Amino acid sequence: MRERKSVKFNLQQQQQEDQNGHLSPFKLANLFDPDASWDKDQLGDILHWIRQALALICGLLWGAIPLVGGIWFLLFVVLSSGIIYGYYALILKVDEEDFGGHGALLQEGLFASVSLFLLAWILVYSLAHF
Amino acid sequence: MSSTLVSNMKYSDSLTVVGISICTAIVCEAISWLLIYRTSSYKSLKSTIDKASKKLETMKTTDPNTATTIKKSKTKKIDRVESSLKESSRDLSMFKFKSGGVVALVLFMVFGLLNSLFEGKAVAKIPFVPIKLVQKMSHRGLSGDDMTDCSMAFLYFLCSISIRTNLQKFLGFSPPRGAAGAGLFPMPDPKSN
Repeated sequence: MRERKSVKFNLQQQQQEDQNGHLSPFKLANLFDPDASWDKDQLGDILHWIRQALALICGLLWGAIPLVGGIWFLLFVVLSSGIIYGYYALILKVDEEDFGGHGALLQEGLFASVSLFLLAWILVYSLAHF
Repeated sequence: MSSTLVSNMKYSDSLTVVGISICTAIVCEAISWLLIYRTSSYKSLKSTIDKASKKLETMKTTDPNTATTIKKSKTKKIDRVESSLKESSRDLSMFKFKSGGVVALVLFMVFGLLNSLFEGKAVAKIPFVPIKLVQKMSHRGLSGDDMTDCSMAFLYFLCSISIRTNLQKFLGFSPPRGAAGAGLFPMPDPKSN
C-alpha cells in the first residue's frame, strides 16, 4: 500500500513559522525528498515553475527540429501534465487531497505554460526555418 | 553581423513584438507596484485573505472522532470565515480595479502602436493550423487563405499571457490562492490591467 502523507502538513507549517510569521526558507534538497513537508503555496509554486521550464524546453525543441502539426501541441499538454503528476504523486508522494485534489495540482501554471510553449515554438519555428 | 542576420530573417518582426511586450510588461508591473502593491491597504487585504484561507483549510480538515459532536458549531464558523474571505476578496478586486486604469491605458496605447506598425502583416508562422475559434485572432487583419500566418494580435496575446503571468509570479504580485476567482486558468492579474 502506497504511503500517503496525512494532514500533518498544517502542524508542520505552524512549527516552521518563526516569530515574524514567515515560513522557513525552502530548501532545494526538498525538491526530491518525499519526507519533506509542503505548504500549499510552496508546492503550487514549484509545480508552476516546473511547467514553465517544460514549456520553454519543449517549445525550443519542437521549433528547432521542427515538429509541425496540432498533434505535437496535444503531445506537449499530455507530456507536461504526466511529468507534473509523476513528480507530485510518485517522487514527492504527496496526498493530493491535502492540496485541493488532482485538478488543483495539475492546473497550476497550466495556462501560462501553454502560452509560453506556443510562443517559444512559434518564434523558433518562424526564425529558424524561414 | 548579428543585425544583418536578424534583418535577413523573414519574420524578424516577431522579435520586435516580443521585445515591446517584455518592456510593456515591466512598465505595467512597475506602475502596478507604484499604485497598488506598495500601498498599506493592499498589503493588509492580502494578509487578511492569506490568513482566512489558511484558517479555512485548517477548519475544513475534520477530525473523525469528534465530527458529529462539533459539526454544527464548526459549520457556522466555516461559513463566517468563508463570508469574510469573500468580502476581503471583493474589496481587493475593487481596490485594484480603481488603480488599474492607468495600466489599462498603457496597454491600449501599446496595442494601438503595434497595430499601426504591423497591420496586415504576418509577423510569424504558426507550425500548425489553429482551430476556427483561434483563427479569428491568429489571422486577424491578414489577407490570403494561409491560416498558418500569424498576426501581431495573436503573438502579442501569447506574449502578454506568458510574460506577464510569470513576471507577476516571480515578483510575488500574483493574487493570493485563496482569493475568489483564482479559477481554473489563472490569467495575469486582470485588475492590474
